[in-house]
Amino acid sequence: MKKTLIAAAMLGASTSAMAVAPGGPGCGWGNMLFEGQSGMPMHLLATLVNGTTGNATFGMTTGTNGCDTSGALTYSGQSLLGMTGVMEEVAQDMATGEGEALTALSVSMGIEASDRAHFNTVMHENFAAIFPHQDVTAKQVMASINDVMKKDQNLSKYTV
Amino acid sequence: MDALAASDRWQALLHINPGATLRDRHRSYVDDDNFFLSETGKEDPLAELLATHEALQSPGAQARCRFPARYRFLAQSLGWEQAGAFDHCAQYREWRAAVTASRAVLVFPAAYLNSPSSMFGHTLLRLDQGEDSAVWLSWAVNFGAVSTAQDNSFFYIYRGLAGGYPGRFALVPYVQKIQEYSHMENRDMWEYTLDLDQQELDWLIEHLWELKDINFDYYFFDENCSFRLLELVEVARPGSQLLTELRFAEVPVNTVRALDDRGIIRERHYRPSKAVELNNLREQLNGNQQALARRLADDPSLLTSDAFLAESASDRAIMASVAYRYLRLKYRKEERTDAVAKDSFALLTAMNQLPPVAVPETLDPEPPEKGHGTQMLAISGGQREGNQDFGELSYRLTYHDLLDNPYGFLRGAEIEGLDLTLRSTESGDAKLEDLQVVSIRSLAPRNRFIQPLSWYVDGGLERAWAGRRRLVRYLQGGAGGSWQWGNWQPYLLTSLRMENNSEFDTFVTPGAGLDAGILYRRGRWQWQAGSVGHYFTNDFYRYTSQLAVQWAVTRQHGVRASLEREGWRGDGDNEFKLQWRWYFD
Repeated sequence: MKKTLIAAAMLGASTSAMAVAPGGPGCGWGNMLFEGQSGMPMHLLATLVNGTTGNATFGMTTGTNGCDTSGALTYSGQSLLGMTGVMEEVAQDMATGEGEALTALSVSMGIEASDRAHFNTVMHENFAAIFPHQDVTAKQVMASINDVMKKDQNLSKYTV
Repeated sequence: MDALAASDRWQALLHINPGATLRDRHRSYVDDDNFFLSETGKEDPLAELLATHEALQSPGAQARCRFPARYRFLAQSLGWEQAGAFDHCAQYREWRAAVTASRAVLVFPAAYLNSPSSMFGHTLLRLDQGEDSAVWLSWAVNFGAVSTAQDNSFFYIYRGLAGGYPGRFALVPYVQKIQEYSHMENRDMWEYTLDLDQQELDWLIEHLWELKDINFDYYFFDENCSFRLLELVEVARPGSQLLTELRFAEVPVNTVRALDDRGIIRERHYRPSKAVELNNLREQLNGNQQALARRLADDPSLLTSDAFLAESASDRAIMASVAYRYLRLKYRKEERTDAVAKDSFALLTAMNQLPPVAVPETLDPEPPEKGHGTQMLAISGGQREGNQDFGELSYRLTYHDLLDNPYGFLRGAEIEGLDLTLRSTESGDAKLEDLQVVSIRSLAPRNRFIQPLSWYVDGGLERAWAGRRRLVRYLQGGAGGSWQWGNWQPYLLTSLRMENNSEFDTFVTPGAGLDAGILYRRGRWQWQAGSVGHYFTNDFYRYTSQLAVQWAVTRQHGVRASLEREGWRGDGDNEFKLQWRWYFD
């Protein structure tokens, strides 16, 4: 699991307005499924000058996207799943059993190429357990994925 | 040292302008004291080289942590190379370990409906860590203007164009960019794999670190996102001659062309937007099934209806997928509501239980860089009302109108900037006929699933009837709808016009009216029939009706014929014109 968190933390270390759940508490970890993406700079010239509002980011910066950086929970909150929009893509890929979002998730969890097809199948079959209702949060989804993997002979080694 | 200072790599590392733009010729584009070690570094590459030599020489020098690419350049040139040169640079080493790449890809989000201005687009660079399928985990190198949230739109426009914002490189997860462009704005994305080897990529990444928090000026027209990326490629491969030609009005598609011309593009990949995927899926269904899918999105309880269950499992799967995707597309930008989340979840669960659906690929997507050139010159001849023959010379700085060769462009979108026409008649000298400063038009077809607004705005100077034919200043725009039936695309828009001329009593005279017509597209032939008319507050009215056709002879040449009637109370003029259009650059 540790590897997951590091990979996820690297991914989420960003300051785009998008990475912040609108009105969400702290970080994206509390993001719910089907969270909208309002609050993007959508005016004409933003497209033209492709401006970024606020700080320009440079990879490994942390704690600049409005997240509270104290405490373990918010550390892991900066994750792939916690990014607005991503959980929705992951959910769609899990429902159908394949897709780029699901691949990204498996790669970021350190799952080797040879196990990824199996991972996709397991996720597809356990969709209902991982997404039991529409109000799940990124944190709950991550925990469920972990539970499902623990019960699988080939995938349990990726959880700690 | 003189030779080193003049070498391509050093010049590229300092971002010296080799003559590609008029500003800062033979000086550095970087506008930030933190980037230079010598006080005269911006103008003097040799002084900067000497200062860099001084600062980086001793093992353990802090400057090595700031300038790893410069260090590598000196070390290789002067035989300094040693193991552990960056041992004392914890921060840099941590960053460098996280930012790796085995492949660089230029990403070009294509234009999207309802934002013709996006035709100018944006380009960014993607650094892939390895596997093809895991591009969500790649880094995106983005150059953009840094603005503050307080600025309002008008200020933003002004400063964006005039160079008031600093531009910086940013390194963000690519997944964010996918969300932004492909999912939020519904833009297709073109991805061009660059032919750079590992060493060249390492130069690029190391240099990127040197640009952290470094300000460049940002100019919308030339020193923009695309232009800066060319400078990065120049660092990776010095002497690639990407910046030797004068580049004014750097349109991102020309960046792609510049790289393509120098053989730096190895491969091209098309990533359809969510809206295109929905459309491709939808087209697999017949009319009734589409209607059912649309109703399903409003009311997922229909999943258990007899009508739905009567369909085959694979069709049910497509319908559920269409309904789900439609719902997500529609509400993506809005705040989450319980009702929509519940419906979305019901459809998603249905998809999970039905057989998987493959989204059909778009057939022959048209690469934007294969479209016609961005600038245009045209000559024409014609006759106006009876026997008045004329000849015309036109120039357009940028970019595309509804009748130009559509290959590689978005259908129904027009954006023109600085379109100038001089007309000469038998009886007189050449006179300004038309100077369109800007014209943007978006005719986005409405269907069962999407109902976008069509709109337009244009302004400039043109000859029009006001007592006699005279040069008038105008600004007009409007909004309405557009639909598509096969090759036909009708449109109907309201229109408002503000006009200033020397005949009307008031300084600015407003008028209201309609702009309506139909487009017909068939292969190389583009047709348009339409009228636009206004009734002004001083009881004057005027309309123009036009039938026009353009034949795209080749990619860069077209012939256009038009028949026009300009009418006003009690009278009117007819005009016929034949035009040869040549696109370049």
